[in-house]
Amino acid sequence: MADAAIWSCGSMASLIDLVPDHVREFESYTPSRPDPVLMRQYGVSHLYRLNNNENALGPPPLARQAVAAYAPERAAIYPNGDAYDLRLALAARFGKSPDQFLVGNGSCEGIGSVVRAFCAQGDAIVTVDKTFAVYEWVARFTGIEPRLVPLRDHALDPGAMLAAATGRAKIIFVCNPNNPTGSWWNRQTLEAFLTALDGRAVVVLDEAYCEFIDDPDFPDGMEVLERHANVLVFRTFSKMYGLAGLRVGYLCGSLAAVDIVRRTQIAYSVNALGQMAATAALADDAEHIAATRRMVGEARGFLGGLFAAMGLEQVSGAGNYIMVRTPVSDTLLYRRLMREGVMVRTMTSFRFPNWIRVTLAREPAMEAFARAFRKVLDKP
Amino acid sequence: MTDDLLVTMEIPPDIAFARLLTAAAETLAARKGFGQRESLRFQLTVEEFFLCLVGLAEGDKPLRVVFTGKRHVLRLAFAFTATSLALGALNVTAGIAACADGEPSHDLGLLLAGKAADRFHLDHKGEKSFFLEAEVDRAYAPAPAVRVPAGLHGPYTVRPCLDPAQLAHGAALALAVYPVWHCPQSFRTPGKFADRVEDGQIACVAAYDAAGQLAGLLPWSPCSERALFFSGPFVFVPPDEAGAVAGLLVDGFIGAVGRGKYEIVLSFRATSDVPAEAFESLGCLDLYRDGACCPEPVLFRHLREDAGMAVWSRPALVDFLRDTYDRLAMPREILPVEASKGRERRASLLGCTLDRNRDLGELRPFLDGEDMADNLAAHVCALRDKGIVNILYYMDLSRPWEAALADDLLRAGFTPNVVLPHGGRGDLVVWQHGKSH
Repeated sequence: MADAAIWSCGSMASLIDLVPDHVREFESYTPSRPDPVLMRQYGVSHLYRLNNNENALGPPPLARQAVAAYAPERAAIYPNGDAYDLRLALAARFGKSPDQFLVGNGSCEGIGSVVRAFCAQGDAIVTVDKTFAVYEWVARFTGIEPRLVPLRDHALDPGAMLAAATGRAKIIFVCNPNNPTGSWWNRQTLEAFLTALDGRAVVVLDEAYCEFIDDPDFPDGMEVLERHANVLVFRTFSKMYGLAGLRVGYLCGSLAAVDIVRRTQIAYSVNALGQMAATAALADDAEHIAATRRMVGEARGFLGGLFAAMGLEQVSGAGNYIMVRTPVSDTLLYRRLMREGVMVRTMTSFRFPNWIRVTLAREPAMEAFARAFRKVLDKP
Repeated sequence: MTDDLLVTMEIPPDIAFARLLTAAAETLAARKGFGQRESLRFQLTVEEFFLCLVGLAEGDKPLRVVFTGKRHVLRLAFAFTATSLALGALNVTAGIAACADGEPSHDLGLLLAGKAADRFHLDHKGEKSFFLEAEVDRAYAPAPAVRVPAGLHGPYTVRPCLDPAQLAHGAALALAVYPVWHCPQSFRTPGKFADRVEDGQIACVAAYDAAGQLAGLLPWSPCSERALFFSGPFVFVPPDEAGAVAGLLVDGFIGAVGRGKYEIVLSFRATSDVPAEAFESLGCLDLYRDGACCPEPVLFRHLREDAGMAVWSRPALVDFLRDTYDRLAMPREILPVEASKGRERRASLLGCTLDRNRDLGELRPFLDGEDMADNLAAHVCALRDKGIVNILYYMDLSRPWEAALADDLLRAGFTPNVVLPHGGRGDLVVWQHGKSH
């Protein structure tokens, strides 16, 4: 059937003729359906969401209180346009100027702002082939060349990334720790990389999962950026802080760098409830972070043992997720697990075909996953 | 692609402008270096379709026409509106009926257009809007005899292949090594295969040995807005290394398309070298060759999570669909559709492609009509008369009027065989005609 070319059916002059090639070739992202729809589709009465690396413990107590105290009437009022209070709280927390912070609607907004701020047609960004997809996507639909460097032993390869950062490469995205492999650069590796780069490009240090690491050799981007003016650190309230539903992320950098990015950032993009909850979350996060790390550590041990017992290859570093290579297609496994009420992330789109990523969560969810996983693979 | 030549016009529905169109068609063919024979066929196709559409035009609304000259094909496309569309003479079975008494029929023009073009396609865009495309192929030399390379040795690497000489060589090699069923038609004219890759219609990854010699090939092309159709993997190394090279090719393929715009990859031409764990089975086509049934597996693989969809079905097809979707664990809402009543036109139209090398005829519905049951039977009869044993019919379940034809198909001796998820605008049911067996 495929010998015949796909018929264009509408290639006559139309709306599509107005669209630049790099947008025309780009397919919009299709998020998963809402839980009730998925449950109806797959005939289950409960769904364990283990696909998005959400924090099963939810937000810290003060953030919960902030959400609960939010008066409905305030929904009629615009939020503060540049998250003033939250930036003050971040500045106090990290000992910096509030103007060194930009708050966005999730860190994805920041990625778009940075690309718009530093890249023009003909420029390039450098990232790796198997990492958080949004860097590559934003580059592609902005008409910027994404240079994809292969992972080496499931980790970012600093030498290869430096080698790719030539010519019109303007931004290097370093996901540290990397999603989905959990590998991370230590202090020495990052410092050597930045020294060798010598400011030739902006380095986005995406630390979305940094709070899950308590290793002293993990480099703190907030400290690194003080020595390297070309470093922008991205963090989020969606993972450790359990506020994914409110979409709050931020970036921090030198005053000069942030001033440039601010020019391309849309004001008023972060809702008022999100700003309040994030500000409150910062105020009492110590116990929450400790409890989350305990939960993640236990879950990692549990699933790591399960996969090892089943003889399956796994990749698990930092972050609240674990990857496992499956003996069947990852997308088939997804459908079968959905029928058991368990939702995982297929990894084909991360260029890890036949791998799945599982969020490390509470014991009941991990046990439900283990039961379903054994069942659908017919390995009770 | 950059070297395409495009001619776009809006033409009043007036036969006086036919000359303008044929002149443009002739110029386009000449500028793209097509031969006299192809040029004349293209001009004839253009002229006859135009004259036909002038007859269908409503008022003075202009026809919009686009000619595209590619390396391997000349294409015309008409966008038009019509209240009552009668294109029955485009059926491959129409020739005999239209000229049975030896007198020129009013459908003769359509008949000529249908025969002059190598293929055509009609898409109903809704309401009174239609989109008609027709193509005339460049003539290419057949595949030369080639010898399978000896002395290939690893390590093997896989990368995208764009070199025309290597592509043509790979196509000829595959044709020499693999059964004809597994090879895309374009492999029989390797120059065309290379040109289609150059044009972007086909993509492929190739495997190379340590010395850079071609060791394998895996091509793919879109078969719908959401699905890619692949062939292979074609492997040219000794049997003890074939599995490893096939695995590299499949990994290279999935890696190349995994983050792209397509949701699924499909094939019913996968070779026996394909790694078992790489794809899921949709079932088998029961193909007949030399009097024996040779089941050919139909494989697929999602590239992202299946979001589910609704499909239309007649009651007669519901059990088949439920069983299929249940086996695949694929969420689909099956919506009932009524059988066609009071069809709006008399003559139906079926698209028909013939592949004698594979002993295969493929049917697609373009227009419903009162004579659909007879038309189906006539097509089956005509294909059988030509000695074609394997006849497939494709039904798009996203279109209620197509789904409503299930009863006609059953009566005509077709059996639903496999479902190709996202194989058309929605899921596509592949029906097989079974009476020949």
